[in-house]
Amino acid sequence: MSEPQILKLMSNDNVEIPVDKDVACRSILIKNMMDDIGEQALTEAIPIPNVNEAVLNKVIEWCVHHKNDPTQTNDDDADSRKKTTDIDEWDQKFMQVDQEMLFEIILAANYLDIKALLDVGCKTVANMIKGKSPEEIRKTFNIQNDFTPEEEDQIRRENEWAEDR
Amino acid sequence: MVRTSRDVLELSTSTSASSSSSSPERAPYDDDTDFFTAGRNDSESSIGVSSLREVTMSPSQSRERRVSPISRLPPEILIGVFTKLSSSADLKNCMLVSKTWSRNSVDLLWHRPLCNTWANLQSVTKSIQTPDGYYSYNALVKRLNLSNLNEQISDGTVKPFQMCKRIERLTLTGCIRLTDGGVCSLIYGSKSLLALDITGLDAVTDHTLKAVSENCGRLQGLNITDCSKVTDDSLVAVAENCHFLKRLKLNNCSLVTDDSIMAVAQHCPYMLEIDLHNCRQVTNVSITSLIARGRQLRELRVGHCGLLTDSAFLDLPKNLAFDSLRILDLTACHQLHDEAVEKIIESSPRLRNLVLAKCKEITDRSVLAITKLGKNLHYIHLGHCAQITDGAVVQLVKMCNRIRYIDLACCQRLTDASVKQLATLPKLRRIGLVKCQSITDRSILALAKANAEQRQKPMVASLLERVHLSYCVNLTLQGIHALLNQCPKLTHLSLTGVQAFYLREDLINYCRGAPPEFTEHQRHVFCVFSGDGVNKLRTYLNEIGPDIAYDTEGTMYDDREGDDMDTDQHLPGLMHATGINDDDDDMDEADGGDGSQYELEGEG
Repeated sequence: MSEPQILKLMSNDNVEIPVDKDVACRSILIKNMMDDIGEQALTEAIPIPNVNEAVLNKVIEWCVHHKNDPTQTNDDDADSRKKTTDIDEWDQKFMQVDQEMLFEIILAANYLDIKALLDVGCKTVANMIKGKSPEEIRKTFNIQNDFTPEEEDQIRRENEWAEDR
Repeated sequence: MVRTSRDVLELSTSTSASSSSSSPERAPYDDDTDFFTAGRNDSESSIGVSSLREVTMSPSQSRERRVSPISRLPPEILIGVFTKLSSSADLKNCMLVSKTWSRNSVDLLWHRPLCNTWANLQSVTKSIQTPDGYYSYNALVKRLNLSNLNEQISDGTVKPFQMCKRIERLTLTGCIRLTDGGVCSLIYGSKSLLALDITGLDAVTDHTLKAVSENCGRLQGLNITDCSKVTDDSLVAVAENCHFLKRLKLNNCSLVTDDSIMAVAQHCPYMLEIDLHNCRQVTNVSITSLIARGRQLRELRVGHCGLLTDSAFLDLPKNLAFDSLRILDLTACHQLHDEAVEKIIESSPRLRNLVLAKCKEITDRSVLAITKLGKNLHYIHLGHCAQITDGAVVQLVKMCNRIRYIDLACCQRLTDASVKQLATLPKLRRIGLVKCQSITDRSILALAKANAEQRQKPMVASLLERVHLSYCVNLTLQGIHALLNQCPKLTHLSLTGVQAFYLREDLINYCRGAPPEFTEHQRHVFCVFSGDGVNKLRTYLNEIGPDIAYDTEGTMYDDREGDDMDTDQHLPGLMHATGINDDDDDMDEADGGDGSQYELEGEG
């Protein structure tokens, strides 16, 4: 095995974080960039303008843990995207963060194009929604109800069929 | 350009509303893929969107975001979250949270409205018809499946859905009261229709299929199983107008002739799967043409097309390989001989599933040809090919060691030598040996032992799941007990007509009930353990211990001869009485149809 190549990522609060190249390439955005600019990426820090240090560290932690995961083929991809909210244990623990951080991780995964992490993030949020009433959901996420009572009533009526089987 | 993130939010909401419609490339029967595809596309395009996120933000917005971090998620990610919710009740609750959540969940909820009960159907149709609904629900329905309500559905029931012109998949399986009037009202103007299933709609005629040919140019999947009034007249039109057809099922459409099939061969170059089961007028010329022209053809089923002869295959163009063909079902094409099988194997080297059940003329020569498929072969059915001998089966197992499923029912020449070899197949999950009357406990012990050895190895996932041993009259409890203890994954074990079982009241307790149409004698010999019954039988035998378990009771010996005679006399009648004509029965005549022949469809 060859010497692991290290590259540096620059968070939006100007902190340089060294990362194993293979780990960083879990991000399709970075991988594509590496393919484009090649060796130059190893000398200069790569700016990640949308992600701060804390979030970037968290994302890297995830990538390190999952660096040996098989790359998803199209088939696997379709499978893992089935409507299941099963999350493996390590990922569940990883996602036990405050909402601020949770949504930052999801946005970072989206920006950096790390599909598996985005998927885990979406599943985590879905699990927070499951089985809750609209009011409980609003409370959980601190969302303001901008429906009038009449509108709410109408939607409820028109979607009556959508009960649990 | 400076855009507020709120603008971006609104912008992507409006695009995502239309994005859940699917592309024509999508396979008609893949469940739910379009959502995920849509989600993927959205999130890719969102990279640009979210990079604008921090550009400008009014003080009030930034306050809102501090308070409610989830409001930072762009619509496509919110939709990604909602996609993970499997229950429509959860989705409905999301619709009631806020206007943003509502907009982003309504498409998902109405993509496939739940019409599993009459009350739900009423509620759905009411909302569709409401002129001033909160949303225009009728434009959101992409899939409609009324098969749950089957006989309750009439032409009047489906009328409200004629407003839904964006339906992509319409499943009306078993809605037998529907006529041309009802189905056509759904078809007219449905330009997006990709898949139509009207299985069992006996009243439907060419009128409906003409409508399909005139309206549904993007159609990819059509299932008209048991629509016995349909003729070439409309099917030729469908073939001529629906060039994208990939999957076609015409089972039991007895009026269909070569004209339809030739038209399909000529006009539908993307054909992947075609099922002509029991289209008894179909002859060699159209099947030859279908294979020769259908370069992507993956699955061909022509079971019970009794007019087919060797020429159907011998006339295929020389030196042309049909590399796409994976599944070929020739059940009861009784005029086929070894020459045809040799040609099939030569020209379709990548066949994975091959069904030659009831091709009574074939011999060991065919089996030796089949061995050339090597590791490609996963599924082989040679039931009722009674000329086959141990030598060929041994060779087959040696060459094709990835076989997962094998059926050798009624191959009465086979002995323990075959089964001992079959036991060495590392991936074997299902084995059918119904009425292989020579086999003894030695076979069963070999299967048990091999399975135990396999389990010792790491990474071996597949183990015996279904074992069909009905009418293997020499079997005793000893062999089966060992099999039960070595095969933890066993979910089906049939031993109908095996005296060591059906005469034992204590064991019969764990057996499943005989099908209602069975006669008293059939009930008497019926003995099939499935699901939890298998586990209970195992537990019971382990509890009582071998001394009691294997006690054959002195009285049994006297019964035996008489019963054997009895069994023999009743066998033909027993097969016919299952209601599904002897021919149709793949596995166990007395199993009441285990559907095993359909399971290969699931294999990717």
